[in-house]
Amino acid sequence: MGMAGCNEFVNRLEQWLEGERPAESAAHLQGCPSCRGLMEDLDSIQTIARSMETDAAPPERVWTSVRARLEQEGLIQGETHGWAGGLRSWLGGVFSPVPRPALAGAYLVALVAVGAALSIPGYRQVNRLSAPAFSASLDSAEHATLAMGDPDPAIAASLEKNLAIVDNYIALCEKSVQEEPESEDARDFLYDAYEQKADLLAEIAERGDGR
Amino acid sequence: MVGNTAEAEDLTQEAFLQLFRKISTFRGESAFSTWLHRLAVNVVLMKLRKKSGKETSLEQVTEPDDESGGPRRDFGTADLKLSGSLDRVNLQRAVDQLPPGYKAVFVLHDVQGYEHNEIAEIMDCSIGNSKSQLHKARMRLRELLHEEVRDKAREERRALGNASGSED
Repeated sequence: MGMAGCNEFVNRLEQWLEGERPAESAAHLQGCPSCRGLMEDLDSIQTIARSMETDAAPPERVWTSVRARLEQEGLIQGETHGWAGGLRSWLGGVFSPVPRPALAGAYLVALVAVGAALSIPGYRQVNRLSAPAFSASLDSAEHATLAMGDPDPAIAASLEKNLAIVDNYIALCEKSVQEEPESEDARDFLYDAYEQKADLLAEIAERGDGR
Repeated sequence: MVGNTAEAEDLTQEAFLQLFRKISTFRGESAFSTWLHRLAVNVVLMKLRKKSGKETSLEQVTEPDDESGGPRRDFGTADLKLSGSLDRVNLQRAVDQLPPGYKAVFVLHDVQGYEHNEIAEIMDCSIGNSKSQLHKARMRLRELLHEEVRDKAREERRALGNASGSED
């Protein structure tokens, strides 16, 4: 298949992806492994990109910091009960008209509850800990937390299921870090996964305390 | 969009500070959610442009090839395909190398699922411009990912060569 045909195809690719399918482009694609490779690559990029969506909410410390800065600048005053929670709920309303792919129910709860885990003393030093050390401390926290149990068996089952989802995510991230130990992105994903597990454990512990 | 949790938190904080500082300038000409998205995207773009050392608007964000009318001609080859070697980590690494405007449109559309009309409102550009930027972003990503695959293959060959050389 000649290069001119490929050039022509690529020139029309944007329109092709928009659904405009002239017969000559379709015929070229059918007979050209090179352009089929291009289309497969673009498909792969879009598929992986879609899996990168994280519906993560900012951790509590962001709201605390925003509040402190706003008070400092005189834009808000004094203590307002539930300020951060109120702002989050309000933002939930603001963004609600835009449909977003959602994560599994309590997995999302784990993401939203980041602040609770970050109140654990020493948690901020997580980036200075090695991954195995942090993983081990999470495992100890898991044993202690699960021993508390939840009075509602349905909720306990749901939390354990979500824990399994997060554990699976951690395993995938650990594999990436092992494969590419120098990759900052891989490490970021791993710490993010640990953070999610810490959040979920904090959520479970909080429920246990409330019994 | 910034590919880094700590930076994302800083930018979230900055976006909400801006919200409180600029709320009086909201005139209701667009939906509040659109106004807020635009404000947040601008905060991120300013940061990205500072990092890349460029002061450009979305309309001006182009790669050298764009000046000649389109993406570089980098066709697929039978022996070099991304499927199988592409994962979130190397895609994120490639996204980090995109120019700010490409990156913003790609993340908003392909990662977060926004439609072109929403992106056009958020980024204050035309729908056609959003589509064109997205297409160029995907093509540039493909080039970057292919370069990575080629580099990796070259390193592996070199390592194999060294190993067989040391055996001799």
